[in-house]
Amino acid sequence: MLKIENLVKTYKDVKALDGLNLEVKPGQIYGFLGPNGAGKSTTILSTLGLIFPQEGRIQLFDVEVFKDGKFDEAKLVEVKKRIGYMPEHATLWDFLTPVQTLDIIADAFNIPKAEKEKRINELLNLVGLSDDRNRKVGKFSKGMRQRLLLAQALINDPELLILDEPMTGLDPTGIAEFKEIIREQKKAGKTVFFSSHILAHVEEICDTVGVIVKGKLRVEDNLESIKREFLRKAGYTILVETNVPVDWSPSGWNVTPLGEKRYRIAAEEDIREGVHDYVASQGAKILTMQVKEPSLEEIFLKMVE
Amino acid sequence: MMWGFHLEFKQSLRTKKLWVILGIMILLYIPVFYIIKSVGGSEITVGGAMAFLIQFVTGMAGFFIGILALLMGATAINSEVEKGTLRVAMSKPIKRISYIGGKFLAHSVVLLLALLLSTVVGIAGVVWLGAPLTSELIRDVLLLNMLLLIAMIQLVALGYIISTLIKSSGSALGMALVLAFIMFLIMPNVVGYLTFKAISDHPNMSYEELHQLRKDYTTKYLFYVPTSQVSVITEDVSSTDENLANTTYYGLPHAIKKNPVNLGILIGLTVAYLGIGFFRFLRMDLR
Repeated sequence: MLKIENLVKTYKDVKALDGLNLEVKPGQIYGFLGPNGAGKSTTILSTLGLIFPQEGRIQLFDVEVFKDGKFDEAKLVEVKKRIGYMPEHATLWDFLTPVQTLDIIADAFNIPKAEKEKRINELLNLVGLSDDRNRKVGKFSKGMRQRLLLAQALINDPELLILDEPMTGLDPTGIAEFKEIIREQKKAGKTVFFSSHILAHVEEICDTVGVIVKGKLRVEDNLESIKREFLRKAGYTILVETNVPVDWSPSGWNVTPLGEKRYRIAAEEDIREGVHDYVASQGAKILTMQVKEPSLEEIFLKMVE
Repeated sequence: MMWGFHLEFKQSLRTKKLWVILGIMILLYIPVFYIIKSVGGSEITVGGAMAFLIQFVTGMAGFFIGILALLMGATAINSEVEKGTLRVAMSKPIKRISYIGGKFLAHSVVLLLALLLSTVVGIAGVVWLGAPLTSELIRDVLLLNMLLLIAMIQLVALGYIISTLIKSSGSALGMALVLAFIMFLIMPNVVGYLTFKAISDHPNMSYEELHQLRKDYTTKYLFYVPTSQVSVITEDVSSTDENLANTTYYGLPHAIKKNPVNLGILIGLTVAYLGIGFFRFLRMDLR
């Protein structure tokens, strides 16, 4: 769907993308994470031909649109018919109403009139702007503008939806509706690539995550694999609760008591079986035992470090 | 090309600066015609009225709409980058050249409408002064509008270059105003002084020679001011005898034929500025 290889983009003497490699597969909801200035927006803008990288390759729908420092504009225009894009920190034309805005955007895709009207009505319903269809966008709140930006991105029923920090400025209801729309897109077989700095949103709706730091992709995998890999590298934290107090000193493990019968064990590998046997050998029983899962935030912070 | 055109046309017609500048210009027409009428406008000849109309519209529209064109161009691209609307537009299946082409076409149409408005008010003024509305007048007025339109396009194109060079639309607006101040007020006065100095060094020059010297200086030292080049051309629509008593009207085609260099500079620089402005837009990062 989207494949980026060794992409380099330098602004004056700042390397925004430093040999970036990334792949978004069909049907994925891909969360693109990174701290401020990591290169998230530069990646998205490069993908759409809105900025010019110096090196690397970009493929969209298996069509090579960028190679040897040049975009093939004819090919890019052709593939853009299948893409929807919602930019970060953007507004739409203040003097237009939502209907007029979507009408003009639909014209860029040559959508026939009857289909266009139907689509505009559907989208305004979807993003909850039906009642404001004839109000000027200039009078809209930030959240309403975000909703309209999402609607314009969906006007062509895109196969690939690219969203740059889409939930900024939305209230909790808006965020919930937004997540639902993204899930609906996945159900319909669409691919969603979105950048965000709100890790909880990414964790909740994405099946694949890419983390970019200083213009390079540090990790790209599904969330489960990322967590497993993190645990493998950073070590396991096992939380144990027993029926009676246990003396851990003969075990040789790094155990911190959290209460009379509750303990935290830090280990380099998954030693749950060993813990079970040890507790039994001490004549005690395990009431609960769990491996403390790292949050995406912990993983993210560790990577950024 | 029509996609960018519709949007930009609507947008340009809604900008406050368009209506403020046009409003000031039209308001200034009224006292000028009123003064001419009160100081003996009834004695005005047909040729004199036509020559006055051509030169008056060149001066007024050239200055006011010229500033408008420069400001329009200087904020055409950077303001859209700032708002993010350009990123939305260019993420759609539209070629960059089509988008900037449509924008340019819309700006040209808006400027032509502004010029026509200025001309219509000017014609109404000379008719009010007593000059008949002849086919020759209509032809020359249309030709004048074409010449002024080229001048305005040159200024819009210069604005596009500024717009692609300066990221902040506020700074670009300031830069355009400074440039307008230098081009329309400072430099013509500097060149006027140089001309006066040259004339005073040659006190025996004939009226015709003085006229030619002034034109030569404007051509040479104000080649980058398109309205000055149009003025050089329109000065030759008529001639006045040395006593300033009789005006003979020759018409704009005659004036254009007589000044091919100025027409060449006008068109040449317009094409060059447009080329540079478009090229920069095609290669610029829209972030």
